[in-house]
Amino acid sequence: MRKIKQWTAMGLATVMAMSLSACAGSKGGTSETTSAAETSKAAETTSAAASNTTSGEPVELKFSWWGGDSRHAATEEAIKAFTAKYPNIKVTPEYGAWTGWEEKQSLNILGGNAADVMQINWNWIDSYGQGGKSFANLEDYSDVLDLKQFSPESLELCKLDKKLMAVPISLTGRLFYWNKSAFDEVGVAIPTDLDSLNKAGEAFKAKDPDMYPLAVGEYDRMILMVYYLESKYGKNWVDEGQISYTEEEVKDGMDFITGLEQKHVIPTLATISGDMADSLDKNAKWIDGKYAGIFEWDSSASKFKKALEGSVNKPNQEFVLGDFIKMGNNNGGFTKISMAYAVSSSSKHPKEAAMLIDFLLNDEEGVKLVSTERGIPCSTEGLKILQDNKLGDPLTIEANTKVMGYSKFTLDSKFEHNDLKANPDGVYYKVFGKLSAGEIDSKQAASDLIKGVTDTLEN
Amino acid sequence: MKSKGINKFLSDNAGFFFVLPWLIGFILFKVYPFASSLYYSFTNYDLFSGVTKTGFMNYNKIFTDSDIRRAFMVTFKYAIIDVPVKLTFALFIAYILNFKLKGVNFFRTAYYIPSILGGSIAIAILWRAVFNTDGLINTVIGAFGAEKINWMASANGALTVIILLRVWQFGSAMVIFLAALKGVSEDLYEAASIDGAGKWTQFFKITVPLITPVIFYNLITQLCQAFQEFNGPFLVTKGGPNGATTLISILIYNNAFLRHKMGMASAQAWILFLIVMTFTAVAFVSQKKWVYYSDEDGR
Repeated sequence: MRKIKQWTAMGLATVMAMSLSACAGSKGGTSETTSAAETSKAAETTSAAASNTTSGEPVELKFSWWGGDSRHAATEEAIKAFTAKYPNIKVTPEYGAWTGWEEKQSLNILGGNAADVMQINWNWIDSYGQGGKSFANLEDYSDVLDLKQFSPESLELCKLDKKLMAVPISLTGRLFYWNKSAFDEVGVAIPTDLDSLNKAGEAFKAKDPDMYPLAVGEYDRMILMVYYLESKYGKNWVDEGQISYTEEEVKDGMDFITGLEQKHVIPTLATISGDMADSLDKNAKWIDGKYAGIFEWDSSASKFKKALEGSVNKPNQEFVLGDFIKMGNNNGGFTKISMAYAVSSSSKHPKEAAMLIDFLLNDEEGVKLVSTERGIPCSTEGLKILQDNKLGDPLTIEANTKVMGYSKFTLDSKFEHNDLKANPDGVYYKVFGKLSAGEIDSKQAASDLIKGVTDTLEN
Repeated sequence: MKSKGINKFLSDNAGFFFVLPWLIGFILFKVYPFASSLYYSFTNYDLFSGVTKTGFMNYNKIFTDSDIRRAFMVTFKYAIIDVPVKLTFALFIAYILNFKLKGVNFFRTAYYIPSILGGSIAIAILWRAVFNTDGLINTVIGAFGAEKINWMASANGALTVIILLRVWQFGSAMVIFLAALKGVSEDLYEAASIDGAGKWTQFFKITVPLITPVIFYNLITQLCQAFQEFNGPFLVTKGGPNGATTLISILIYNNAFLRHKMGMASAQAWILFLIVMTFTAVAFVSQKKWVYYSDEDGR
């Protein structure tokens, strides 16, 4: 009797454990089936697309984006204006914060449930494009979406299998921003070259060992190292699907990052982790001026500025855009498409979806309402409307103009691949984490980084 | 005649028909995904590109990649420390709350609240506020002139933070212990007191042996949950610093939903399953030695 009871209990425990461990498989099985269905559905809708017209019949669109509150509010206003202009079109918004957004949207794309109009990251074209099957070819809708407003180069970057998968919303690049009040408090000038950056490190340490002139996380370190390498060696990070740098050169980049830590220019990653903040803009040490500098996208800098302005402990801190720090004979840094609009290939109304995109990027009313919520527009007409009406955040405009005029290196679309960028097991996180913790030296870090990036490029 | 046969069939198999809806759901949503995940674990199944390769490559990578091995080791360490600490603490509090104290119901409810809150964003924010370098703990120890602790500067410090989060949520184990303690007859304690047994002796010689089935139940459930813990490290430490709190569940999540590499995620889930299964089996085999079932022959 006891044996039977024990075996029954053992069996139940097995079933329980099966129930707990089966979720990965469940997703896999279901998604494979829906993937096939999605593909055939996509083919049907794409061929039917050209025949759709805006005949005045009721049309329902879904429009998805991620962002902060101000972007949500501006976009909802723009949707209202669009539906007022085209009363037969109803637009349902779907928006949220970035956390978890990519996971959700990628599964929606795969399952054929994606919104008609999607705000996407540039690398999604490559990662989720399925060879051109996931998104509609927007060249088919050039009668309602004015593609002449975009430079051929920027459109070329959004093509997959010679089909235009998306239109770029804005271009962005990284710049140095500083908390001028903190520099004034320490009594040191804002850095313009490596020497002054190192001197700032010394001065900050002397003032308060918890203060640093610059703070950079794992991914920021990768971008900063590439900026350094491009400045010094004058080569793109990746050219024609291969890393352009030798192991010795990458080791030099790793030594540069380690040197910044040693000279008290940047805190170690353990120090930043110890702050236990979600992100740098939410870090109390940034808000209260202990971290006095960032190397950030022009399109994201405003949230750092707002965080400083909201400081209770240190009110009235001044946030300024800095010069590019000279690290060699070349102008380092790259620009990239920060985000784009795409139309799902499963959309039943791709033409109306394209009309919505045109309204947001090229129409005077739409551009005015959305302003610089998604960065400085790539659209010539969009930019002109903003300039003529003196609209948009002056800091974003200044920064974007500056970085577009300075950084000329190109970015490989796999630079932001999740095999590299994911936290905590992406290559960038692992390599820079181990380097900062002293688990590996710069030579090993260079070798690991090159191997990780090469694997991603080859796969 | 025919309807009589149908009726007999239905009546003979009534039990089966009652469980049929559950059975269908179980096969569709548990057995099939479970079996298919085993198959996928031997493939390079990617949600966007499908299966292009089969073999042992995922398992090879798991056993040769030092970062994945480390995640398994961290998970193992986490579960092995967390479960005994949590159970001991839950039993201790349940023991205290079993006394006839004034306002005991309030305390029972209060201690259960952290378990209801679970691993939410709000709790992550709270935990960060407690453990960050300028947080509550450092403020308190700073008042006594002690040095600030950067919990995230060392692997053990970071692991302690997420272990404490789970230990803090001891309420559900505590309630089960409390129910078991209520089932221990007062007569036994009275008899032991008359024989001169003190409180400690009574606890270890009467209470603990009589609630071993419940300790066993809590051990199994907590072990399964600890090995699959995700929310705490994902929300509070993000697996850092430098992989010190990267539990295997985070790697499974990233592979499955960020990279869509279901083959690798399935292989990692299967290794995790085998580990949980082994521990469960060991616990079941070992119960002969230490679990007391009063309804049978004393064991």
